[in-house]
Amino acid sequence: MDDDQSAEETAFVVEEVSGIIKESLESVIGRSSFEHKRVCQWTSSVVEQSLSQLSKLAKPFKYIVTCIIMQKNGAGLQSASSCFWDSTTDGSCTVRWENKYLYCIVSVFGLAI
Amino acid sequence: MKSTVVKATFVNKPVAVLSISGLWKRRIKANSSRFFRKMSDLAKEKAARLLKKRGSVSSLGSHEVRAMTFGRKKDSISTVSYMEEPGHHDDIPRPTVQMENTFRLTPARRFPVTTVKDILKDVLTSYLQEEKYEPELCRQMTKTISEVVKARVKDLMIPRYKFIVVISIGQIRDQNIRMGSRCLWDETRDNFSSHNFNNSSLFATATVYGVYFE
Repeated sequence: MDDDQSAEETAFVVEEVSGIIKESLESVIGRSSFEHKRVCQWTSSVVEQSLSQLSKLAKPFKYIVTCIIMQKNGAGLQSASSCFWDSTTDGSCTVRWENKYLYCIVSVFGLAI
Repeated sequence: MKSTVVKATFVNKPVAVLSISGLWKRRIKANSSRFFRKMSDLAKEKAARLLKKRGSVSSLGSHEVRAMTFGRKKDSISTVSYMEEPGHHDDIPRPTVQMENTFRLTPARRFPVTTVKDILKDVLTSYLQEEKYEPELCRQMTKTISEVVKARVKDLMIPRYKFIVVISIGQIRDQNIRMGSRCLWDETRDNFSSHNFNNSSLFATATVYGVYFE
């Protein structure tokens, strides 16, 4: 029981991470339309907010957070990732989020120390 | 002197594959009908189209990438994808490598930023120079390139480094796009390398992160 609990405490929990990402996306972008001037600030706020929430989880991980924001005008975008790591401890979570005006893809990679 | 045992099993598999215009393996929850009714007409059409399209997609590796659609609010849709139960999908159970203490505090070799950049440049140019943007082709291309880059970086044989390769290919169509990333890591040991490529119809960004495993 104790083992299970300690494993849970140090593992990469996707639900937790995706919740953090979605929360920061909703709070930073929400229903805003695409504005060139603000996008620069949005990417940094989304990434920064997610990262600060992740660090508050106080888990033994190094984190990499990437964010892509793209205007919706019919253009396509493909994104893929490939990792060389210890799959028993490390994990990743990608959230694709969209509102009426823009697409946003946020990926979090957690690498155990 | 007592030596502690460090366990390490490195497995490399493609982890997450995403596409906006491509097909999605979707898992729509039971309450999706209620959620779709709430959406605007435009979104309704789109969702219906996506539902029709939901063929099965398999990534290059054996790991299944799960995607879930959530409709949290009226105006936004989000999809989460992740690797299902990491570490329990090994086809061949590998013996755990047992290593003794190295008493080494710093990496023997650092992450070679310029060498990796050259690899990225080489791979992106050779794969994408002549290509036109097509969703299906690019979907496959992102996976292939990420695998190729990972293999090439692995061949550099840099001990104790974990690598993450992220590739995005997009269509050039007068849209605005912004990519950014930020890391919580040890900046003296960990590093990244990135390269941009574009031709007349598509752009590609490749980034490799190298993280020292302490």
